[in-house]
Amino acid sequence: MASVTTSISGQPGKPKLPRRRLMTRRSLSRLPTLAILTVVGLIMLFPTVWVLSTAFNNNGGIATGNILPTKPSLYNFREILNVVSSGEPVLRWLLNSIGVSIVAAIGVALIDSLAAFALARLQFRGSKVVFYVVVSSLMVPFIAVLLPQYLWFHWLGLLNSYGALILPYTANAFGVFLLYQFFLGIPRELQEATTVDGAGPFVMWYRLFVPLSIGITATLGLLTFMNVYNDYFWPLIATSTPNMRTVTVGLEIVAIGQYQTNFGALMALTVISVIPMLVVFVFAQRRLVEGIAMSGLAGV
Amino acid sequence: MSSLQPSQPALTDTGSGQYTGRGEAFPAKAGNGPASPVLAPHQAVGKNRRKRRLVDDLKAYAFLAPYLSVFILFTLVPVGFGIYVSLHKWSTTLGNQGFAGLSNYSTLIEGQGYYGSQFYQAMSNTVLFVIISVPLLWAIPTGLAYAVFRSPAKGLWRILFFYPSVFSVTAFGSAWSLLLATNGGSVNSILHTDIHWLTGVPMAWLSIDLATIWATMGFSFIIMYAAVTQVPRIILEAAEIDGARPFARFRYVILPLLRRASIVVIIIETIASFNLFAQDQIMTGGGPGYDTTTISMNIYNQAFSSFNIGGATAAAFLLAIVLAVIAFIQLRVSRRRA
Repeated sequence: MASVTTSISGQPGKPKLPRRRLMTRRSLSRLPTLAILTVVGLIMLFPTVWVLSTAFNNNGGIATGNILPTKPSLYNFREILNVVSSGEPVLRWLLNSIGVSIVAAIGVALIDSLAAFALARLQFRGSKVVFYVVVSSLMVPFIAVLLPQYLWFHWLGLLNSYGALILPYTANAFGVFLLYQFFLGIPRELQEATTVDGAGPFVMWYRLFVPLSIGITATLGLLTFMNVYNDYFWPLIATSTPNMRTVTVGLEIVAIGQYQTNFGALMALTVISVIPMLVVFVFAQRRLVEGIAMSGLAGV
Repeated sequence: MSSLQPSQPALTDTGSGQYTGRGEAFPAKAGNGPASPVLAPHQAVGKNRRKRRLVDDLKAYAFLAPYLSVFILFTLVPVGFGIYVSLHKWSTTLGNQGFAGLSNYSTLIEGQGYYGSQFYQAMSNTVLFVIISVPLLWAIPTGLAYAVFRSPAKGLWRILFFYPSVFSVTAFGSAWSLLLATNGGSVNSILHTDIHWLTGVPMAWLSIDLATIWATMGFSFIIMYAAVTQVPRIILEAAEIDGARPFARFRYVILPLLRRASIVVIIIETIASFNLFAQDQIMTGGGPGYDTTTISMNIYNQAFSSFNIGGATAAAFLLAIVLAVIAFIQLRVSRRRA
């Protein structure tokens, strides 16, 4: 964990090459790199600038070729947020998305931490079988699970409910795996200190493993929040009434529906839909980035 | 810590460092040891141990119970049910319409009927997208990772390349629809052109690729950047002192050391690209005609426009098999070259 933190965010130590000529050549050789990065960076910014400009421009919903809004206004936001004028419960969608993502993130963190602890630190019959079931469920592509889940929730009569929007995310094999690997790295000496006190496995999990893994568990929670909040296919098929939609699905309905040509209102909704994720990004960027880096490095 | 060591065998190592909590002073097979003259206490110990073992098992499964129950309820059982449904004529609204054997599968494989014939076109469209997007979604993040590694203000670049990841697929889909709209789109109004970015082939594919790369490459960039920073500095310095230019250092020193991360990125991006759905749906709606209809759209339309969820489930399982085979081949090839 520590090594990722330093290697991703820390400045790498400057190699010590005393000769001045080498240093000049080095900074000169970086110019093309900087030029490339600047160009790509501007390309990355460009769409967002236009989205913001269109959203804040009261121009009859038409996009303009100007970087700055010609008639800056919150009109588009007022129009799309107003249920009467837009006909869509946008705030409800937003709250649905946020609520569902938070519950799923907490659920996954808790369920996966318990399971990972048992797999990493308890000895029991069938542990190998359980472990391989978890690993192999990582390989199942989501498309193979999606329609069966739809059919299953249909059969259970749970479609178009918050249960349908949350429960399928709770079986998160990736999280079990991430925490499992972290738990394996916790020194046994620490653990033995608690067993001397005669503590059972639950106390050990709660008193030792949970506090030690709080950082990586939070990362798992954030990644889950991001996945659930941005998920599209499942909430699309699992919900059917306007009030149960999540904001990702609602945005699609608006985008290919009545607001197809009203770019101002559509971009205002796009901006609104991104705000919760943006807050997460601003406050937990480092943790999100670490989590992704770790999932990549631990993935194979 | 250990979770970051890609080479460690921890993935399959359930046996090491485990807490047994089971009085380890006793030999493992106390009950089968040499016959003891005092039988009663010996048997008592054996019974006691068996009882404790059962208690330990129960405790462990208590920890696993939440995960196993949601896994069984919301993954295993649905997939089993899905297999059953795929063997039936099954309507999304009316339910079971009778046993169909493998006909749902054979219809698709033989390309019969509306969705069967579309299945192949959707498959080849999807493969085309995968072939274009996966190399780009690997190469661009990898090149950028090295460029950022060599540049000052790393934090700034990292934010710039990663921030679009906060956009949901519908958010960036609608944003790019605005940018690329033929009438009133920003790109056309800046360039003073009338290009059909979204309504003509091959431009529509180019647009979908562009939007997808813009929005999703941050994820791969972070993985590749983390891998670049783990390249031992001493090797890079040695290459530099030997006179290797920056590109040569990248090509011959760094790239070979990024193999493992590259495999992860390529497999993740292949699966993600095969699942292309929402940005396509918003930006082109699968058109013009069926030219940008993907396999996921085919499955979705089959289930929710034609209400033939039996056939759609069969198509989903076929896609899953294709994906599994491809991931298996990718892993095999990468291991053999190692």
